[in-house]
Amino acid sequence: MAIHAPHSHLYNSVTLETAKAKLTHAGRKSLDAPLNLVAYIDMMTMLVIFLLMSFSATGEILFVQKNIVLPNAQNWAELERAPVIGVSKDVVTLDGSQVATADDLMKDSNTGDFKITELHDKLVTLKNNYKLLHPGEEFNGIAIIQSDKGVEFKVLKKIMYSCAVAGYQNVNFAVIPKTKAAGGAE
Amino acid sequence: MSVSVDTGGKGGKKSVNADLYLVPYIDLLTCMVSFLLITAVWSQLARLEAHQKGQGQAGEDTPPEKQFKLVVVVNDEGFNVVADQDQQPIPKKGTEYDYEKLGTELKKLKDAHPDKGDVQVASEDQIKFEILVRTMDTALTARFPDISLIDAGGAGI
Repeated sequence: MAIHAPHSHLYNSVTLETAKAKLTHAGRKSLDAPLNLVAYIDMMTMLVIFLLMSFSATGEILFVQKNIVLPNAQNWAELERAPVIGVSKDVVTLDGSQVATADDLMKDSNTGDFKITELHDKLVTLKNNYKLLHPGEEFNGIAIIQSDKGVEFKVLKKIMYSCAVAGYQNVNFAVIPKTKAAGGAE
Repeated sequence: MSVSVDTGGKGGKKSVNADLYLVPYIDLLTCMVSFLLITAVWSQLARLEAHQKGQGQAGEDTPPEKQFKLVVVVNDEGFNVVADQDQQPIPKKGTEYDYEKLGTELKKLKDAHPDKGDVQVASEDQIKFEILVRTMDTALTARFPDISLIDAGGAGI
C-alpha cells in the first residue's frame, strides 16, 4: 500500500470545487476588521456636551495674573470689554504695561493731588481712540480694576481718582463669581 | 420592475443588521471638540459695578435735591450706617466685620424706603479691598443696585 503524506480527509467526497471551498472555509479571509466605535463616539459626544455647556461667547476678557488674588462676590455681572487696570501689592498696570508702583502710591502726596499721571494719560489716549473708532456711539466710561484682595483703599482711591479725571466714571471691580449656596456654606 | 428569486437559504429571511456610516459624524465631533477646546474660557471672572460721585471733573452736575442720604462708613472699628441724621454703628465681631448685621440693617432701611436704590460706601485709607467688595456685595444683596465707592474723608460725615 502506498504511503501518502497526511492531509485533510473531510469533504473529499464533494467533487464540486466551489461547494468544497465553502464547506472547508478555504476561501480568502476578509482583511476588514470591524472597529467598535461606540465607546469612542460616546466619549466624544459627552466631551462636546460638556464643552458646549461651559462655552462663553464673550471670550476671555481678563487673564488672571499670578500675583493677584481676586475677592469673591455673590452679586455679579458679566464682564464687558474695557481697559483693565491690574493692581497687585507691588505694581499697577494698564492693559499689561506698568504705570505705577505700589510704593509710589502708598506715599502721601505733598500737593494733595491723587492723580497718577501716566495712568491718566494712557486712559485719556484710550478714551480718544475709542471716540475715534466709534464716532456714533456714546462713551460709556467703564474701566475694570483687577485688584488683589489685600490692596488698601489708599491705593485704590488714587487709581479711581485718576480714572474719574480721565473720564472713566464707572469703575468695575473684577471678582470671582460665587454662588449663593456656596456663600451660605462659608 | 425587479424580480426577486427566493434562494431558499435560511428560510428566505434578510438580515436586519445595517451598517451605519459613521465617518462624517466622527469628523463633525472631532471638529467641534477642537473648536470648543481652543475657544474655551477656563477662568470665569465677573464684575462688581461701582460709581464715583464727587470726584473728578466729570462728576454729577445735577443740583443736590433734598434726598434721603444713605452712607455705609467702613473703618477699623467696623461699619457705621448713616441714614440722614441717624447713625447705626455696627462693631466688629472679634476681628471680623459683621456683614450679617450690616445686611439686616440695610434690608430694614430698604423696606422703610423702597424707592431708594443708591448707597455710598465710604472707606478709610487702610481698609483692604476684600472688605470693600464684601460690603458692596452685602449692599447689593439688600437690593441697593446703585453703589458709589468714596473716600470716608469726602463723605461729609
